[in-house]
Amino acid sequence: MADPKMINLTIEGRAVSVPAGTSILEAAKTAGVLIPHYCYHPGLPVAGVCRMCLVEVEKAPKLAPSCATAVADGQVVHVHSPKALEARKGVLEMLLINHPLDCPICDQAGECELQDYTYQEGRAEGRLREGKRFNPVEDFGGDVMYVANRCILCTRCVRFMDDVAQDAALNVSERGDRALIGKFEGKDLTHPWAGNVIDLCPVGALLSKDSLNKVRAWEVDRTASVCPGCSQGCNMIVETRDNLVVRLRPRANEEVNHFFMCDQGRLDYRWMNRQDRVEYPMVRRGDALAVTEWEGAVAEAAALLKGKRAFVLASPGLPNEALFLLSRLVKKTGGAGAFRVRQGDEAPLPGVNDLARRADLAPNGRGAELFGLARANAPLAGLQAGDVLVVADEELAGLDAPDVARAGAIVVIGTTLPAWARHAATVVLPITNVVEEEGTFTNLRGRVQRFRQARSGPGFSRPSWAVAADLLAALGESANYLLASEVFDALAAAHSEFAGMSYEALGLKGALVAGAGTGAVA
Amino acid sequence: MAIGVKVLDRPVAQTSYIRATLKGMALTAKHLLSPQKVTTQYPEQKKPLSPRWRGTHRMLTTEDGKAKCVACGLCPSICPANCIKLVPGEDEQGNRYPLVFEIDEFRCIFCGYCQEVCPEEAIHLGRHYENSEYSRQGFVYDLERLMAQTHPVCELWDPADPKGE
Repeated sequence: MADPKMINLTIEGRAVSVPAGTSILEAAKTAGVLIPHYCYHPGLPVAGVCRMCLVEVEKAPKLAPSCATAVADGQVVHVHSPKALEARKGVLEMLLINHPLDCPICDQAGECELQDYTYQEGRAEGRLREGKRFNPVEDFGGDVMYVANRCILCTRCVRFMDDVAQDAALNVSERGDRALIGKFEGKDLTHPWAGNVIDLCPVGALLSKDSLNKVRAWEVDRTASVCPGCSQGCNMIVETRDNLVVRLRPRANEEVNHFFMCDQGRLDYRWMNRQDRVEYPMVRRGDALAVTEWEGAVAEAAALLKGKRAFVLASPGLPNEALFLLSRLVKKTGGAGAFRVRQGDEAPLPGVNDLARRADLAPNGRGAELFGLARANAPLAGLQAGDVLVVADEELAGLDAPDVARAGAIVVIGTTLPAWARHAATVVLPITNVVEEEGTFTNLRGRVQRFRQARSGPGFSRPSWAVAADLLAALGESANYLLASEVFDALAAAHSEFAGMSYEALGLKGALVAGAGTGAVA
Repeated sequence: MAIGVKVLDRPVAQTSYIRATLKGMALTAKHLLSPQKVTTQYPEQKKPLSPRWRGTHRMLTTEDGKAKCVACGLCPSICPANCIKLVPGEDEQGNRYPLVFEIDEFRCIFCGYCQEVCPEEAIHLGRHYENSEYSRQGFVYDLERLMAQTHPVCELWDPADPKGE
């Protein structure tokens, strides 16, 4: 495709050059000017109903809605001219006529666009003396609750359900000042991606029932991460308060998930805060596991592995870094490695190309395959008698007992200590989970994406890659890594698919492994 | 070698203590005859407090006896001493209210920011200074205790002179 024609215009005195067909609002973003807006969202069709994005365009007869006006050559746009400010102040006053102004009890306070723009450009005091309209709170099904009084009728939620989820469930009911968002007869927000309307809502009208009244927007720490729920690898923001994960939200990435995240991924965060974690390295002393220190536990695990084959049963939820080091452990001992992937139902989001909750309910199956681990339904089939079974963040439950019995000894590298490990494990090495360490996942399309540490791990647990590196070092390999990025550099040097990648280069959007275009998993 | 000290030869009128003693006794006798009382007979007698006095907190209540607090979370955010603990929840009517609201009066620096920031005019500092407890834990006031306080509340500014001029 030929390069689109570039249009040159001036916004707030700044020269801007954007492709033809761009809206003034998007063009202003490239110049670092945010034009206030409610109904416009880059992931949704343009509606032009809120009139909040009115700007003054020189030589135009009246103010233009910048979300619905395409740029033209030589345009001169004023965003903060007195005329534009006066118009937007009027719009805000109208929007606030029936708004209850209950910010102190509203969950959106602190991340509310109505609040932000009213403080920026609105009136200090309202002039309305009449009473306000009142509508009761409505349950929209799924995780969504609708507070009609706060709604400004931007119709983002309606357009998301119609055009992106393509499961028309919402509409604008009634007319005029009685208008509110309603559900179609017999419909509920039960679509697997319906929870996105909560993030799309610019005000506190659509709220998550799960996080209702739990947390204030200004109390949380936000960390860029990747959803570990399935092999799609949606980018997400982990919100923590007091070292506990309280909410997961989508993070925009045009290449993977655009602006969206499925409900299952969004609500599946409680396991990240599990309190029944294994906190100390442990070794078997007679019938029981005894707490010990790291050096002793690693030395004991290395002594078990010396001269034996290591059979690694790895979780596809481990980062590339840990899987790479475990594959080196396999190579070093001449053993084998396998993993299995839990299966779920595929749930696509029709309005976005190649976005679905995938059937593979693990984030890094592709990475595990790249490092030579074998994907299998019965992963222990290759376990030979006398092998040392290294169970890395995986369950033995559900596997054949005779298979397990062939193992000479079991080394558990895990976040928790399940019942089987309590009597079967010889050495237990505690690791941190996905929100407690940093690393990378390779999604099903071969996109390597970084996730960052959002909370601290419990007790003496250490990152999975650090434990694997210690084990390698104890076996005489050179594996002296202090940072996850150093492991990744070693990984990029050893595997041609990752050649040339580094943490800095991956950034927030990730990068594709070499040959990803041809080797895509169906 | 001895140090040479200069000895001043002053007249007796200057060096005699008799005159000074008599002067002091005269002052004492004067106060004995027309006494000036400066001691406040605390606790029978108390000095009036400024309307802007900032003492231990009090939570105001609505007419039906519930705390006015809606657990918006502004006071723990603004508190420079980090002495307010707040856990929001929902009551039977679905209204937002504080499940836990505790103020550690020992950590508090009585700046009055919590009262100033409160959108519901619920938490107030008190015009009150008599606090004593048998344990440090006694100074962690929970919601019930904050609501049970009856002392007058602080006015953050003098109504007659709101700008402090």
